[in-house]
Amino acid sequence: MKKLLIALSFILSATPILAIDISGSVESRCTIADVTEGRYGNPNAYTLTTDPASNGVVPVIRADTTLANAYHLNVSYPTSFSSSPSLSDNVTWTGAVSVKATGESGMSGYHAASTTTNGGATRQYALSVAGSVWIQSTSVAVYGGNRAFPGGTYKAVVVAECVAQ
Amino acid sequence: MRCSIGICLLLLNFAVHSHEQTPTYPTWKTSGIDGIKKTNIRVWNKRPDIEYYEIGVFEKDLETPIPFVTAYKVIPLAYLKEVKFDIYIRESNIEEARYVCSLSKLRSSNESQTLLVTRVCSKFK
Repeated sequence: MKKLLIALSFILSATPILAIDISGSVESRCTIADVTEGRYGNPNAYTLTTDPASNGVVPVIRADTTLANAYHLNVSYPTSFSSSPSLSDNVTWTGAVSVKATGESGMSGYHAASTTTNGGATRQYALSVAGSVWIQSTSVAVYGGNRAFPGGTYKAVVVAECVAQ
Repeated sequence: MRCSIGICLLLLNFAVHSHEQTPTYPTWKTSGIDGIKKTNIRVWNKRPDIEYYEIGVFEKDLETPIPFVTAYKVIPLAYLKEVKFDIYIRESNIEEARYVCSLSKLRSSNESQTLLVTRVCSKFK
């Protein structure tokens, strides 16, 4: 019995220990997420709007950065339809890009510090704090002369881009 | 309660659809071919509505294209997949090349809505 125990202790002590390394790396990055898909409501015959009061849905995107001062975020509201029925009159576009929520207290000044280009349709935010920021882009399209939009499907594009500084 | 909030946040996080590109600041490396440099880019697709990304190399205005070569300029990239690819450029174009960008390509659908185009640009410093 004693010999058996000694033999067992030898076997157990000789059992190899397998060490598995888990490695990873953290690097600066910007991720753009589609949080809420936008949808147009049709409060009257000549207007399409993302206003929730008119049964629309305001599109919301989220930008996540892991390093401060590494990226600019550019977000625009649409100024034309990417697809629509044939339109014989002009469409007047209005809209706004704004900060909906921030994940860090240091982001509260993002909107005040932002700049616009493209006739005000594109707003640029300097992502000076690591973390998440939620941006919304509202838009309203009014058909020329208050004429009724032809029946069909209308689509417009919101562009969100992260550009390394 | 705290656990429920944590689970909700986790679920919300999984529901988000996103586009990511790394590295933020790529560098040009030797390619093994005289006069040609290369860099490696990784794109990650977490948008189920997107199946293709278009790659471009641009000057500092983010609009003027720079000629480059890669396996595909429009890359098929399935949901929750990543792709790593090399971009080759002439040494004579390196000074002008400032950004490499990936742009999501949209598919059509039958609903009046706003669509989201995402573009992520890395910068050569």
